[in-house]
Amino acid sequence: MSSSRASQRVGAARGRTAAAGLLLAGFAATAAHAHFQLLYTPEAALTESAEIPLALVFSHPFDNGFTMDMGPPEAFYVVSQRGDAAPRTTDLMQYLTPIEWAGVDSRAAAFVAHPPKSVTRSLGDYTFVLRPAPYYESNEDKYIQQITKTVVNIGGLPGHWDEPLGLPVEIVPLDKPYANWVGGVFRAVVLADGKPVPHAEIEVEYLNHEPRIDERRFDPEAKATAPQDSFTTLSIRADALGQVMIGLPKAGWWGICALNLDDGLKHEGKELSLDAVLWLKATDMTK
Amino acid sequence: MSRLKLVVLSLLALIATSAYAHNAICDCYDNGDETITCEGGFSDGGTAVGVPLRVVDSAGKVLVDGAMSANSDFKFAKPKGDFRVEFDAGAGHVVTIDGRDIEQ
Repeated sequence: MSSSRASQRVGAARGRTAAAGLLLAGFAATAAHAHFQLLYTPEAALTESAEIPLALVFSHPFDNGFTMDMGPPEAFYVVSQRGDAAPRTTDLMQYLTPIEWAGVDSRAAAFVAHPPKSVTRSLGDYTFVLRPAPYYESNEDKYIQQITKTVVNIGGLPGHWDEPLGLPVEIVPLDKPYANWVGGVFRAVVLADGKPVPHAEIEVEYLNHEPRIDERRFDPEAKATAPQDSFTTLSIRADALGQVMIGLPKAGWWGICALNLDDGLKHEGKELSLDAVLWLKATDMTK
Repeated sequence: MSRLKLVVLSLLALIATSAYAHNAICDCYDNGDETITCEGGFSDGGTAVGVPLRVVDSAGKVLVDGAMSANSDFKFAKPKGDFRVEFDAGAGHVVTIDGRDIEQ
């Protein structure tokens, strides 16, 4: 990937985050709020098999801000693996239920899913994958599509959480996304078409308002307060090898988004920003 | 309480069974058709292929004397009475599961 392509990506990304802030009149003074595709479940590391509830919401996770309408996803499935056994893919589209999700100032079309326990009956890793419908961002006259992964483990028996799934764009963990102490660091590598993306533009956000799946809303109470707008969305770059490393200062879910990884894509005649999102969970070290 | 039990390795076990220098993990579930499936492995992702698995009744009599398959699992007919499952990966690496804790 040439440096000129990287520069183009940066320009596109900045335009989008600025536009997001302008969606709400009162937010005009606070520029940077990143779009993040949520693929949320409460627990990342389960001690035993259970039904795993999921919420699919397109929002701004730090400030519980403007939540955007989702169309029917293009794909939604889980890849499971127990130890060295062969991976198994289970389609989850049939379990999607369209709902209305409430942010503080907005309501939007979203989805919940309650796959039966049989889907997650075995020990091991479960990587949930969502390819949402492209979202039309009218402020930029372009589409955004965020291919999103959330990794859950059952019973402590790992699978191949560190291997790519062959997605067009994806963030591949270098640390287990479900086993991170607060105060540690998390590393990953950004891939487009299976190859690392040097200096990829990255946004990181903390899921500051815990989703309440049964209530179909975010918890209005924030866990943390940003002293200044730069802290809402942490903007960083991948290194020359396409690797990302972030610190984990607080328990909960953290989202990493790599922006506009495939230049030149079109959807319905307009530019399409193809992004990759990975969620990971940090856990407090307590007795 | 979880029926999934982790066996913390002791130094002795580490020396005795260097091939299993991680926690042994085993879990069983009722298939709902009078059979039970047990899955096993190790916390480093290592396979449990060939690891002995015994089904023992309340008197200590071995009802089933099996071993984990190439998929690191083992399926057996559900005994009528009380029983327990012993996943035996060597000294310090035995996971015991009470049959009453095995759910669908």
